[in-house]
Amino acid sequence: MSDLSQPTGLAGAFMEHRERLLRFLVARGAGEAAEDLLHEIWLKVSRAQTGPVADPLAYLFRTANLLMIDRYRSETQARKRERDWSEAMAGTGGGISDSPSAERQAIASQLCEQVTQTLDELGERQAAIFRRHRVDGIPQRQVAAEFGVSLSTVESDLRSAYRALAELKERLDEA
Amino acid sequence: MAFDERILDEAADWAVRTGDPAFADWDAFTLWLEGDPAHALAYDLVMAGTAEAAEALPSVASAPLPDAANGPRGNRRWFAGLIGIAAATAAVFGAWTLRDQSYVIATQPGETRLVALDTGGEVLLAGDSRIVLDRGNPDLAVLEQGQALFTIVHDEKRTFRVEAGDSTFVDIGTVFDVKHSPRATSLAVSEGAVLFNPERQKVRVDPGHVLTVSPGSPDYRLAAIDPGQVGEWSEGRLTFQDALLMDVAADLSRATGTRFEAAAEAAGRRVSGSLLLAPLRDDPRTLAPLLGVAVRAEGGAWVIEAR
Repeated sequence: MSDLSQPTGLAGAFMEHRERLLRFLVARGAGEAAEDLLHEIWLKVSRAQTGPVADPLAYLFRTANLLMIDRYRSETQARKRERDWSEAMAGTGGGISDSPSAERQAIASQLCEQVTQTLDELGERQAAIFRRHRVDGIPQRQVAAEFGVSLSTVESDLRSAYRALAELKERLDEA
Repeated sequence: MAFDERILDEAADWAVRTGDPAFADWDAFTLWLEGDPAHALAYDLVMAGTAEAAEALPSVASAPLPDAANGPRGNRRWFAGLIGIAAATAAVFGAWTLRDQSYVIATQPGETRLVALDTGGEVLLAGDSRIVLDRGNPDLAVLEQGQALFTIVHDEKRTFRVEAGDSTFVDIGTVFDVKHSPRATSLAVSEGAVLFNPERQKVRVDPGHVLTVSPGSPDYRLAAIDPGQVGEWSEGRLTFQDALLMDVAADLSRATGTRFEAAAEAAGRRVSGSLLLAPLRDDPRTLAPLLGVAVRAEGGAWVIEAR
């Protein structure tokens, strides 16, 4: 028999739910690249030698979601780099600034200040919970236990932090 | 593109929910996304905005938690809770302030954390490790347990010291790895030189060497090591040379976050081998051919035993 007769949990789940995953990718905004992205997921899944995965379908959806997130970030970063490049070319008449890294550092520390200010304006606990979950990478359930609050409080705090940071990014991107 | 308030609210909600590893409601998420093309864009904005914000924030070392000793009680009960918990359960928290200006940074198994040092330089903490730093004494780091790779900016006027158990390591160079457990402390040097116990044995450890001591004994062992192997765990690799299986199990648990245990009758056996951590995280059974052992799942752990 061929290898496909005994698929691993992930490969089997992929083949069974291929259409749902494709639909998800399209809904996420993949457009015409959806089939290509689905193929990328297939390659990853069929090659991996994973141990037992608790919920193969959820794992596949999560993989697809992360793939879309990475794609969005690299696309926007590429656009931004092109914009910066053409601005630099236009402004200096062909030369490039001789201290680009110093400028990047200044932008980075300014962003740090703006993020910190945005979070602090929400409240001490909200700021601390965002840091604990997103900077330290602690799962929400554990954050709730650490802070002695309910899971819904953590979710609510994260929602307001996420809102505020999304609005900050909107403002900064428009500038 | 300015987003509708409601859409941004919903996107933030989905971002929070999908951020939980246990999230399984992907069908409902798909339906929401299909409701309006703006939904996916709003979700991408929230995910990117929060990721960039998290990356812009400094590591804990330069942004300490508030000192609960100064704050009022009442609705800051949770701060008081942090301080009240003793070092025994310290592993639950990533970092917190002790009395005066000391602070502890701890990692879970499988986690690594890069910490900036006040004097310049940095320390990379391995999994399941705990280090104490002191704002009032920035030239000292105490490794309470685990492993850390130090990269120090050498300064003639001040010497950086690492204490682990009874051992003191004084930096007179750049890159070194310290490992400390109740059974043994070791120092491996990659670049520069480090002085071991300047007040007692006073051993200079040069690049390409590893020094090992057991607590409670003045004896030490100095061995050669490939400088490339120093701190190799930070690049996802581990090498064992005649290592006890119980040490191998502990090292693997620390590095992968997966629980490995040596079977009682095999714990004293010695093995050698070099392995990459990423494939091991995906399938712990691949350890078997690499080290010439047998591996089986039992309870929540992977048990290593002799073939």
